[in-house]
Amino acid sequence: MSANAGRADRAGVRDGETAARAVELAYIAVVAIVLLLMMLFGLTMRAAQAQYLDVQPRLFYVLLTMHGAGMVGIAGVAGAVVMWHFVRRHVPVNTTVFLANLVLFLIGAVLILGSGFIGGFAGAWTFLYPLPAHSNGIWSANAAAAYMLGLLVIGVGFLLLHLDVLHGIWRTYGSLANGLGLKQAIGLKPEKTGPPPAVPAATMASIVNVLGIVIGAVVLILSLVNLYVPSFTMSALVAKNLIYFFGHVFINATIYMAVIAVYEILPLYAHHPWKTNRIFYLAWVASTVMVLIVYPHHLLMDFAMPPWALVVGQIISYLSGLPVLLVTAFGALTVVHRSGLRWDTPSGLCFLGVLGWAAGVIPAIADGTIVVNSVMHNTQWVPGHFHTYLLLGTVAMFLGYMTWTAKEVPHETIGTEPAAFWLYVGGGIIFVVAFLAAGSASVPRRYAVHLAPWLTYDRIGSLGALLVVLGVGIMVVQFLVRVPALARLPMTAVAQPLPEAAAE
Amino acid sequence: MTRGFLPLLGFVIATGLATLGFATSGFRVVTTEGARRLAVEHHPRAVPDAVLVDQDGRRFTFAAYRGKALLVEFIYTNCPTICGILGDDFGRVLATLRQDRGTSGVDLLSISFDPARDGPRALRSYAARFGANAPGWRVAVPATREGLRALLKSFGVVVIPDRFGGFTHNAAIYLLDGQGRLVRILDAGPPATLLAEAAHAVS
Amino acid sequence: MLRLAAAAILWFGLWLPPLRSGLESDMALHMTVQIPLLAVVGILIAPEVRRFEPRWLAEADWLGIPGIVLVLFSTSCWMLPVALDSALGDWRMEVAKFVSLPLLVGMPLGLSWQRMPPLGRLFVIANIISKVGALGGLYLAAPIRLCAYYRLDQQAEAGSALLAVATAAIVGAFLASFFGWSWRRPFRDAWKGHRAVATATDASPSLPT
Repeated sequence: MSANAGRADRAGVRDGETAARAVELAYIAVVAIVLLLMMLFGLTMRAAQAQYLDVQPRLFYVLLTMHGAGMVGIAGVAGAVVMWHFVRRHVPVNTTVFLANLVLFLIGAVLILGSGFIGGFAGAWTFLYPLPAHSNGIWSANAAAAYMLGLLVIGVGFLLLHLDVLHGIWRTYGSLANGLGLKQAIGLKPEKTGPPPAVPAATMASIVNVLGIVIGAVVLILSLVNLYVPSFTMSALVAKNLIYFFGHVFINATIYMAVIAVYEILPLYAHHPWKTNRIFYLAWVASTVMVLIVYPHHLLMDFAMPPWALVVGQIISYLSGLPVLLVTAFGALTVVHRSGLRWDTPSGLCFLGVLGWAAGVIPAIADGTIVVNSVMHNTQWVPGHFHTYLLLGTVAMFLGYMTWTAKEVPHETIGTEPAAFWLYVGGGIIFVVAFLAAGSASVPRRYAVHLAPWLTYDRIGSLGALLVVLGVGIMVVQFLVRVPALARLPMTAVAQPLPEAAAE
Repeated sequence: MTRGFLPLLGFVIATGLATLGFATSGFRVVTTEGARRLAVEHHPRAVPDAVLVDQDGRRFTFAAYRGKALLVEFIYTNCPTICGILGDDFGRVLATLRQDRGTSGVDLLSISFDPARDGPRALRSYAARFGANAPGWRVAVPATREGLRALLKSFGVVVIPDRFGGFTHNAAIYLLDGQGRLVRILDAGPPATLLAEAAHAVS
Repeated sequence: MLRLAAAAILWFGLWLPPLRSGLESDMALHMTVQIPLLAVVGILIAPEVRRFEPRWLAEADWLGIPGIVLVLFSTSCWMLPVALDSALGDWRMEVAKFVSLPLLVGMPLGLSWQRMPPLGRLFVIANIISKVGALGGLYLAAPIRLCAYYRLDQQAEAGSALLAVATAAIVGAFLASFFGWSWRRPFRDAWKGHRAVATATDASPSLPT
């Protein structure tokens, strides 16, 4: 290495920062737009159930499928940009791979939207075997294949991204266990030597997602073969297990990635760092294991499942989210408490994200109980619970990150910021409470046409959804108009020098 | 990207696709069974003129069926599973033929690939079990080992021993046209389907 | 030299009738033992061949991508039931199998692996696990016989064996990465020649950022 190389390196770092910045902005813009579009699909469905809109059931189920797949996918992309932005400060990651994930996501999204709105695929985002192959003529094998191919393409992108992150963690910390803080968790090393909070979160989310995607790919390939060669069948129960393992892990990982925004942004406001202690690391280690084995709680209604698996599902679902949630909620309170923190939209959203996550766990625990599940699982209680921690948790954390990024351009606020925040929070609460109330009144989920006694819930839910769309719409527009200025901004945040690679 | 990368990659992909396409008969089949059905459909093949002995001890060859459609099955009389299903199917074809004299341009032939155990007596009892009478439905065994080998090869029948002293084989019903060529390999199924294919083959 | 000898012994051993018919009489052994071992023959000779590899080829095999694509196609061909059958029914295809698995799977894998960035390697491993798992699932569940030369129960056994291989690979890869074991350590001797040449010819096998 010569002096020349050193200069080239510095120029390279600057170019690298600009490129990384550009790709991050592209991510945020894509998430913002797709999120809003999918929220409009959701609003359409609630308005249709409320009989405000006339939507044919066929279209309703297409919307249901697209909303599900789109929201899960975009939550993944939202989590990815939060994780990547912050973990990049600690470990080497590759911008090309990061961009490749976004491009593959967009290709997959086109395939999926085409499968629904052109091909009429409406087999729900979980593509439960053997439904995609038995449409009664509503959609063709090609439409179902386009949908699954879309998921596969998106999976390839995420696989690359997570492998790259894991590789970076491995190089920096020597092993994934070190990235997770296992030695600190079990007391082999002092707490102070542990990785910063973004790293265990990224390690955990990437480990579980790689496993989830590898297994999801297996069931996707098998389902694709079954579409075209129907004599290749598989056990529907095995398929459901694999699909829910993949789906559960992927959607859970979104919140474990998005929560990094809380760890990194709140301390900036409070001017003191997020304390990582032994309990913190222990919580992340425990949640890694539990997220992988808790998925049977999605199959509590499948009487053919071995009882022990369901019991494990019930017990672990009481515990699975809790460790990380507790350390996060406690940590957030500690950071905020007496810090003289200045509340604004980004800090408010990050804090709200923790509260929404905590609130969402309560109905989730109810649904994770076998005796409750058998009467509640097919009601709107379930969308109520997952919308609580996705809409008010994951999405809040992402919006916190988005508005925090937008804040770097200090130009005129249009004066609607607090209004947007409160529209979103208020609407979100109304929206999820309407679902939960309807669920406890036994209103079934996934019905295109609702009976008269259910309409009140639907109408209140529609109102909530409308407010959310307005609030998020304002935030998204405010972000998008600042994108050109943000892209021109000189790069200030230069990655910290990397420790020497430990392995390789 | 280095020089030569894209040409090399293109070459590898093109050769790879060509090889895969060749192995799967143009991305249409992945199994031997699928491959032989497709091959027969596109290139009907002449069958060897092996001498066979039927349930009445009479010797004959495929030449005896010129001008008629012939449905052939391969069996062994001790078979506990699929041969019985094939036999039943043939029996139902025969019943349909008797009802409907119009399609009597179709004959049936069951060939045993187990000459060691399937002597005249075994063939007779198999014929009696399913109501087979020569010449409309012959149950026969090749007169020589070479004849058997040539027949199996030409029809693409693979016989492997199972674990219970019997055989596993790719069971199917073979359709020969009026010129004695193998033109279709069909799954066991309802007589109407088999007879429709047969009628199509002689027309 | 030791590697070449080992490769030759392994190849001839696999070709000799007792081992050959023994492994081929069972679908699971055929797919999970014989075929991988034939690929290993190629991996063993790769470091020796590297010396004679033309410069343009080493250069054109950018990040090992063409080589890995070649491996992908060759393995796909030998995963087809019709190919397995043909190797059993036709001695010419059997010869083709014994030649193509070392030369078109093992050798390009050995040569290109060194040129691949770590991310590429991880991606290939993850893909192979998915592919083997899916193939195992198909064989386990298929209600019809896919190979004319194997019974249905052998086919299901082969499916279970492939699933077992995929599971073992997942667990192994997870444990290795989790606790930071270097997968190369046990094979270091076999790879020593490889690495020396690798550092001399391609200095930085990394993706552009």
